[in-house]
Amino acid sequence: MEDGVTATQVVFWILAVVMLVSAIGVVTAGNIVYAALFFIAALAGVAGIYLILTVEFIALVQLLVYGSAVVILILFALMLTRARERPQALFGRSRPLGIAAALGLLAALIGAIVATTWSTPETSAAIQPVGLQAIGDAIFTIWIVPFIIVGVLLSIALDGAIMLASPDEDDN
Amino acid sequence: MVLSEFAGVSMPDWIDALLRIVFIVALMTINAFALIYLERKILARLQARVGPTRTGPIGTLQSIADALKLVTKEDVRPITADRWAFELAPYMAFVPVFLVFVPIPFTETWFIRDLNLGLLYVFGVLGLNIVGVVMAAWGSDNKYALLGGVRAAAQAISYEIPMLLIIVAVVMVAAGRLAVDGDASLAGSINAIVGDQTTTPYILLQPLGFVIFMIGALAELHRPPFDMPIAESEVVGGYFVEYSGMRWGLFFLAEYTALFLMVMLASSIFLGGWNWPFGADVGLGLQIVLTLVKTSVMIVLVIGSRALFPRLRIDQLMAFSWKVLLPFAIVQVIANGIILAYGGADWIVGVVSFALLGALFGLIYHLMRQRKGEGARTVSTTPATPRVITAPDVTPVEAGGD
Repeated sequence: MEDGVTATQVVFWILAVVMLVSAIGVVTAGNIVYAALFFIAALAGVAGIYLILTVEFIALVQLLVYGSAVVILILFALMLTRARERPQALFGRSRPLGIAAALGLLAALIGAIVATTWSTPETSAAIQPVGLQAIGDAIFTIWIVPFIIVGVLLSIALDGAIMLASPDEDDN
Repeated sequence: MVLSEFAGVSMPDWIDALLRIVFIVALMTINAFALIYLERKILARLQARVGPTRTGPIGTLQSIADALKLVTKEDVRPITADRWAFELAPYMAFVPVFLVFVPIPFTETWFIRDLNLGLLYVFGVLGLNIVGVVMAAWGSDNKYALLGGVRAAAQAISYEIPMLLIIVAVVMVAAGRLAVDGDASLAGSINAIVGDQTTTPYILLQPLGFVIFMIGALAELHRPPFDMPIAESEVVGGYFVEYSGMRWGLFFLAEYTALFLMVMLASSIFLGGWNWPFGADVGLGLQIVLTLVKTSVMIVLVIGSRALFPRLRIDQLMAFSWKVLLPFAIVQVIANGIILAYGGADWIVGVVSFALLGALFGLIYHLMRQRKGEGARTVSTTPATPRVITAPDVTPVEAGGD
């Protein structure tokens, strides 16, 4: 294990390169549709990482949810922006704020990475992958209240969108 | 495992994997050839024509001729099209469909891999297909392509939701049955679901599920009466209007393969796949034949529905998904949950589902009646005004209003 390169490591590095390149593509692509397409490549890479970690359920949900989500994102991009032209407002007045937010997030992430005690090969043997059944049991028993709250929140968002989008009664 | 057992020899993993890929590619190609010919012939018969007759005996070589024409045709890219999106879109539409074959069982032991999350895998991966469609639509720089692609995206996302919910209902029933004499955690595996249907096909337990699944499948496949994304008379072919040659052929291949897949999935989880009907196993080992017979019958029905039903309007289609199918799917899930949680027998599940199916048909009939009267009034007062957005337009009748 220590001297040779395992197949898992090769796959991990391929996925890592794909994710990083796509992630950089999302923020540097001049075209908003390109950015959305890079985004789905990055998310597919994340799904691949989940597969390596043997949590297939999360990987598939990642594809299922974000596949549709990115399509909707592209639709919004097409409807709300002039996607054909290069965006003019990429570097507007809010640029310093954006840089500050990005640096703050970077600092928080680095802090989290440094503060975490990472499992070594010795300790990671004790970590068992959580089964799908266990996830389901946890969501629908211990965490049922947060689950319901999230459901209500999403329903409110949906209803609000319908309210905003629906034409007035006499428009029909 | 599969192929090496079949050939009776052991072989390295990578050759085994390669053979499986070759097998699926060959199957997809043959399937597309067969379906092109069948579609032409069946539609022709239903329209009192004879269909292709000149190429080969009774026109059987028509698909070969079509393929040769496609391969030799020039591959044109419009000068204003977006290069990357336009050229990559056919592959993005095709590869997910190809990948979905992994957990589909052809017989009890013939599959690429039996995934424990097979059903979720099918929908998770197949959903990526729409990204290719949207790429093609946007990349073509053509307003008809864009309209078709936007319609396709809206339709795919809308019909995915009732379909997934109805799959949840089916998995609930399967888990309840598998828990009796097996492992309930296998309920997401397609092969385990098929294996549970030796005596009772799930169409008897979840008839509403079968109907909603097939309606959703027709919409996902852009088959008539839900083919607005590729409607020739409205958007002149939709998202692939600018494609020609083999790139167009890839879209075509993806579409016919997806048809085969969806129908095979439906025959697996509702009609019992490789099982003999009602446990009458005569032990001939003809599982592959049974699977393909069930699939073929369903394919003929799907193709026939193209000639039998008039096309809906896009607003009718969206309203039908959100206002009719989705509530029924949710009610089915809740009903299954209540019945199974209180230990209700399987026949209660079946009866409730049949009752819901009756309610669905009753509602559709009611809406058709309502719509007919409304259409007549619209014609008599304002003949030329197209109706923009209407609420209860969910009927498969031709709208009298426009």
